[in-house]
Amino acid sequence: MKLNPMELYNLLPKTNCRLCEPKTCMAFATKLALGDVLPDDCPPLLESGFEKNLEKIRELVAPLQSTETTGIKLDEDKCTGCGNCVVVCPVDVAAEPPTSEGKAALSEDTVFRVENGISKIINLEKCRRFPPDRLNCRVCEQYCCTDAIEIW
Amino acid sequence: MDEIVCTGCSLLCDDALAEEKKGEVKSLGLCRLGHTYLESAAKHSEAFATISDGKTHTEVSVDEALEKAAEVLISGERCLLLGWSHSTDETVKEGLGLAATLAAFFDTNAIFGLAQALSHKIHSLKLDINLEYVRNNGEFVIYWGTDPTESSHRHPSRFAVLPRGEKIPEGIESRTIGVVDVRETETMKMANHRIIIPPGADAELLEALTGEVSGKSSITSPVAGVPPTELLGLVRNLQKSDCTVFFYGSGIQNSKNPGENLAGLLALVNAIRATGKEAYALPMSHDTNIMGAIGTTVDTADSPSAVDYASGSANHSPDSTSLQRLVAGEFDVALVVGSDSLAELPGPAARALASISLIYVGPPGGLTPRRAAVSVLTNDEMIAASGGMHRVDWVEVGMKSLSKTAKGAMSQYEALMKLHERIRQKKD
Repeated sequence: MKLNPMELYNLLPKTNCRLCEPKTCMAFATKLALGDVLPDDCPPLLESGFEKNLEKIRELVAPLQSTETTGIKLDEDKCTGCGNCVVVCPVDVAAEPPTSEGKAALSEDTVFRVENGISKIINLEKCRRFPPDRLNCRVCEQYCCTDAIEIW
Repeated sequence: MDEIVCTGCSLLCDDALAEEKKGEVKSLGLCRLGHTYLESAAKHSEAFATISDGKTHTEVSVDEALEKAAEVLISGERCLLLGWSHSTDETVKEGLGLAATLAAFFDTNAIFGLAQALSHKIHSLKLDINLEYVRNNGEFVIYWGTDPTESSHRHPSRFAVLPRGEKIPEGIESRTIGVVDVRETETMKMANHRIIIPPGADAELLEALTGEVSGKSSITSPVAGVPPTELLGLVRNLQKSDCTVFFYGSGIQNSKNPGENLAGLLALVNAIRATGKEAYALPMSHDTNIMGAIGTTVDTADSPSAVDYASGSANHSPDSTSLQRLVAGEFDVALVVGSDSLAELPGPAARALASISLIYVGPPGGLTPRRAAVSVLTNDEMIAASGGMHRVDWVEVGMKSLSKTAKGAMSQYEALMKLHERIRQKKD
């Protein structure tokens, strides 16, 4: 389930103190929802008076910290088989180098492969979000123009 | 699985595999549109024909249908040959020969703006680069009045946005993408510059950008409703990019003032080139082999479209295309080949086409064979692979058929050759 930045924002101190890297509380909430920052990166949140808020935020973002629980959902009804996910996935490029030049994935070694007109995830465990890499990579979701791909 | 060339759109993807077993089609690499085309093409691997009395269609032999079609075409006073989007180059050439035999008017879907665009001095009937060049060099890619996410699904992933190239080592991370359109499009999700303008404002925007790039004027206030900061950011990237490519579509070709739009685009391309950077414009078109049809018509008749053989030789009719002539009631019989013209023409022209004697040669499906008095239903070229086609960047692609070809298979080319032969015999 995707985190709602507004829900996180409402739990933050909302001081816009600019002590964090994103600089504003709304920007911090957005990055928190993406897993790009941690609750402990907000100094005012660690001060007394915000204990309950901090606990709630930690509970909400906990799934993002453990990439074993990550998943990629592909809505086949929305997918047009454009191949954006195949070409942009760094794992695909390493497993089948011609995909980096826009060619179709034809082997069984890639994460994504377009079969019968629709993109399929054929090797989810090879995704960089999983161990050993545990990276917060979201390029397939970012470049899916029809919003068929959702990462959680 | 066999190698196959997709005829779903003008990209003619030749990197896909497919197979057909017991009526079930499987593919790797074809987009949703291409796979759907393949499924439909595989269902109709044997040629068949129908004759209609206006109410019911009766299945007849192909020979009988060709005989009837020849009679109808010869008996007409003024004949139109139309379509050709899904026909091979060889089929188009045969069609031009048939038009000469019938002293008919020959036209293609290029009348929807592409013929005018290619004839304009922005191209002068040639393209400076191809899609592989874009993949290898295109740093700043701008889609203007076209939405490839909807029309040519694999255009961004195969060539223009995502793939790596010689001078584009990191793919999308090495490129800047711009989209200019009259509405929010799905392609905009990949874009750094997303510009929405009112319909008809393209020339105004192009002029403002050209002035800013060339230093002859400055953008200090909104243009076509777009804030100056946004436009200045776009200009900065135009000036930084070593190679800018504009892909323009219906928004430029079919708007109220295409001539002005094309002139504006040419001026912008030239302004960028004057700064020492590369800049190019390439047309976008969805129709499978429209570029092959245009190229063959140019080679044969010295014109990209609208060729009139009434005088006995090919005459180009730039001011009066088949659309105007159809609506004016000039034709009493039409042969449509390789296109669903009744679905593709604008309303008045489609109604005019539906009101005259109609012969159809091509794959089954669509409105035209349903309305035609005689239909000869052939293989789709995705299966028939009877000749060559040209991609949207005018690169020739040789077709490859699935290994299994049905006994009763017939391509458009074969059907047209047989029809032409019968007409010649009847005229002699």
